Amino acid sequence: MTRLTLIQRLVIVCFRFAAVVCTLVASFSLQAQNFIGTRLEHLPEGFDSQLLDVEAVAEADSWVAFDQLVPNLGLGEEVQWMRLTLDPRTENGKLIEIQNAGIDDLTCYMICDGKIIASYPGGIMNSASERHQFGTYPSFPIPLVECDRLHALFRMQSNKPMIVPLRISGPRKVLEDAHQRNILFAIYAGVMLAMLLYNFFLFLSIGDRSYLHYVLFIFSVGGAQLALNGYGTIFGVDHWPWMNLRLIHLFGVFSGLTTIVFVQNFLRLSRYVPWLNKLLNVYFLLYLVALALALVGRLEWSYQLINFCAAAIFFFIPGTIITMRKGYSPAKYFLLAFTVFIFAVVIFVLKDSGVIPYNSWTFYALPLGSAIEMVVLSLALASRINQLKKESVQAREEQLRVSQLNEQMVREQNTVLEERVAKRTEALENANTTMKDTLEDLQSAQQQLIQSEKLASIGQLTAGIAHELNNPINFVASSAQSLRRDFEDLNQVVNELKAMDPADPGLADRMSMVKEMFGKLDIEFTQKEIEELLNGIEDGTKRTSEIVRGLRIFSRMDGDNFTLAHINELIESTLIVLRSNLKDHTVVEANLGEDLPQLSCQPGRLNQVFMNIITNASQSMESAGLSVEESKVLISSRKVDSIGQSWIEVRIKDHGAGMSEGVKAQIFDPFFTTKAVGEGTGLGLSIVRGILSDHNAEVEVDTDEGVGTEFIIRFPL
Amino acid sequence: MINVLYLDDELHNLTAFRAAFRRDFHVHVTTEPTEAVRILREQPIEVIISDQKMPTLSGVEFFELIMPDFPDPVRMLLTGHADIDAVIDAINKGRIYQYIAKPWNESELKAMVIEASMLFHQRKAVATEGEVLLSKMQEARAMALKIQRATDQAQALSAEQAAEINRNAQNINRLLAN
Repeated sequence: MTRLTLIQRLVIVCFRFAAVVCTLVASFSLQAQNFIGTRLEHLPEGFDSQLLDVEAVAEADSWVAFDQLVPNLGLGEEVQWMRLTLDPRTENGKLIEIQNAGIDDLTCYMICDGKIIASYPGGIMNSASERHQFGTYPSFPIPLVECDRLHALFRMQSNKPMIVPLRISGPRKVLEDAHQRNILFAIYAGVMLAMLLYNFFLFLSIGDRSYLHYVLFIFSVGGAQLALNGYGTIFGVDHWPWMNLRLIHLFGVFSGLTTIVFVQNFLRLSRYVPWLNKLLNVYFLLYLVALALALVGRLEWSYQLINFCAAAIFFFIPGTIITMRKGYSPAKYFLLAFTVFIFAVVIFVLKDSGVIPYNSWTFYALPLGSAIEMVVLSLALASRINQLKKESVQAREEQLRVSQLNEQMVREQNTVLEERVAKRTEALENANTTMKDTLEDLQSAQQQLIQSEKLASIGQLTAGIAHELNNPINFVASSAQSLRRDFEDLNQVVNELKAMDPADPGLADRMSMVKEMFGKLDIEFTQKEIEELLNGIEDGTKRTSEIVRGLRIFSRMDGDNFTLAHINELIESTLIVLRSNLKDHTVVEANLGEDLPQLSCQPGRLNQVFMNIITNASQSMESAGLSVEESKVLISSRKVDSIGQSWIEVRIKDHGAGMSEGVKAQIFDPFFTTKAVGEGTGLGLSIVRGILSDHNAEVEVDTDEGVGTEFIIRFPL
Repeated sequence: MINVLYLDDELHNLTAFRAAFRRDFHVHVTTEPTEAVRILREQPIEVIISDQKMPTLSGVEFFELIMPDFPDPVRMLLTGHADIDAVIDAINKGRIYQYIAKPWNESELKAMVIEASMLFHQRKAVATEGEVLLSKMQEARAMALKIQRATDQAQALSAEQAAEINRNAQNINRLLAN
C-alpha cells in the first residue's frame, strides 16, 4: 500500500473542493436575484385579524409596506398576513415564488377587486401533492383575470423564522432556478452520500466507532440541510404533516447530538480537554430537551433551544486548539473544518437575523460550509487513522521495548537472584559446616564432661581408696618391723634358754639371768604385743584384700556390657570404695535383701549410679550441719512382685536438707547443681538418669525440704 | 624419755606405733580425743601426733581444740591422703610442726619426734630465759624507781636548804641594813 503524502492528499482534496465550489458558484451566478420585499405590505402590530374573514383583511386600511427586499417576520406562532399588490396587466400569468421551504402553514389568496378568486396551499403542513410549488419552494400562479385591483394575500404561520424572499418570475425562470437548485442539492446530497457510504464502509472494515459517529454526523447534518431547503420529501415523510412540521427540528437535534458524540470521540476530549467534554455533555442534554419539546409540539421553543445549542460549536475552536497543542495532529483538519462550518453558520444566523442581506451566497453558505466541513473532516478521520496506526505502531514498539527491557531486567534479576542463591547456599553450607563443627565440638565437650565427671568420681574414689588402703598398709608394715624387734627380743631369751645345759653348774645363775632378761625386755608385754601385732596384720591383710575385691567389682572391666550381676554386691563394693569418704561424716546403714535374683545390667555403670546418689546423700546431710550420728544413709534392696511383673527396688534415703519442688524438677538436667562453683559439674544425676534409662529402670524422687530425700530405683526383672 | 601422745581411730595403728617406739619414747596412745585431753593433763607430753581422718573430729580440729589449754607440745599431723585443704588448715589453724604421710617410715618418724622434742625444749628454755630476763628487768626497774625516789628526796632537801640559806642571807642583809 502506497502512502500518500499529506500534500498529495491535500491536492486531491482541493480538486474535489474545486469541483463542488465551481458548480455552486456557477449556479449562484446564474441565479439572478430579484426579490421584491418592498412591494409587500404587512399589518401593523396589534392588528386583530381573528374575527375578520380573508376578504376583510385584504381590504383593511392599515397595511404598511416593508422596507426590506427580503422581509423577516422573525419567530412567532401568530398568524401573519402579507399583501402583495399585483399589476394585473403585466404580471398575470407569472408565478409568485417564496424561496422558503420551511413555512409551516401558508395559504395564498388571490383577491380580485376584493373577492377571493383563488386560494393555494403552500405550507409544509400540506402534503406535497396539495402544495403549490415548483421545485421545493411554494409558487403561486397569478391568475389571468381582468381586475382593477389584484392582490395576493398570504396567510402564514410558522414555528421557524418567517423569512419571506419573494419574487415574481416567469414560469420558465422559476423552473430553471428550481432545476438549478435541484442539481445543486443533488450534488450536495451526492457528496454527502458518498462520504456517508465511504465512511460507513470504512467503519465496517476498520471497526473504529468514530467512523460510525461520522456517518451519523454526515447523515444528520446533510439531512438537516436538505430538510431546511425543502428536500425533506426524499425522506419519505411527505404525507405525514406531523413529521413534516418537525423534520427540521429533529434533524437539528439529531445533527447536534451526533456532532457532539463525534467531536467528543474524535478529539478525545475526555482525555485532552475534560472540561469541554463535560460541557458538551450538558449540551447533549439540552439537545434532548429540545427533542422533547419538538415531540410535545413546543416547536418554537425547540427551535430556539436548537439555535442556542448550535452556539456550542464555538467551543470546538479552543477545544481543538488545545487538543492540537497536546500533539494530536488530526485536530488541525478538524480545526479547519469547523472554522469553515462556523463561518457558514455565522453567515446563516446573521442572514436569519437580518443583519446581512438574504441572497444566494448567504443562502447557500450553510450547505457549502457543511459540504466543505464534511470533506475536511473525512480527511481528518483519515489522518486520525494514520495517527492511530502510528500510535499503535509506537505502542507496539514501546511494548516491544518495554518487554525487551523487562526481559533484560528479568535476566539481570535472574543473574542477581542466582548470585544471591549461590551466596545463600554457600552461606548455608558454611553455616552447616560450622554447625557440624559446633555439634562435633559439643559432642566432644559432652564426652569430655562425662569423662571429667567420670574422672572426678575416679579421683574421689582414688583418694578414698588410697586412704582406705594406707591405714592397713601402714600398720601392717609397721607391725612387721615391730614384730621383727619383738622377735629379736624373744630370740635373745630363746638363745639364752637354748644355751642352757642341765649339766651346767651355773644353771641357776643363767636361770636368774634369763629371768632378769624377761623383766628387762618385758617379754610378757612383748608376747601380748606380738599377739596384737599379728591380729593387726591379719586384719590389715583381710581388709586390704576386701578393698581390692570391692574395687575389682566396682570397676569391672566388663562394666559397660550387660552381664548378670548381684545388685547387692554392687552396692557393697560401692560402699567399700566410698567408706573412707563417708567415714568422717556419715553412717551408712545397709539393709540388703537376701536371695535377690541376678540382674542383667552394666555393673560398672550401676556402681556409678549408686556412688553418685550415696555421695549426694552424704553431702546433703553434711551441709545440713548434722552430727555424724545423725547423718545416716539408709540403703535397702528388695524384690517386689506385682501382678504380671516383678522388679528389684533399691532405696537410698538420707535425712539431709531435702529439695524444693523447683529444685526437684531440675535435678536431672545437665549442669544443674546446687553446689558451689567448682565443687560439682552438675552432670552427676544427669548421667545417673541416662544410665538408668539404659536399664529401663524407673527412678522416683521422694523429697521434703528439711526432712530428707529418698531415691527409689526400680529395675525390672 | 620423750613423752609422745598418739591419737588415731585405727586401733591397729596405735598398736603398731607403740610397738615401734616404746623402746625409744614414752608412748601414750588412744582412739578417743577426750582420753587424749585427759592424758595431756596428766602427762608432760612433749609431742602430739594425730591422725587427720577420724569419725568424730579431724586432727586439725583436735589441735585447734586443745590449743588454748596446751599450747606448748609440738604437733604433728598424720594422714593417709594429702588433701590440700587439710594441709592449709593444719598449718593455719592447727599450728602443726610436721606433716606425716601414711604409711610412715619408722626411722624418719623417730627422727622427727626427736627433733620435735628438741624444739619443745628449746622453746621452753627460751621461755624460761625470757622469764629470767623479765624478772631481772623488773628488779632493775624497781631499783631504778628506788634511786629516783632517793634523788627526789635529796633534791627536795637541797631546795629546803637553799631556801634556808636564802632566808638566812636576807636576815643577815636586813641585820646589816639595820
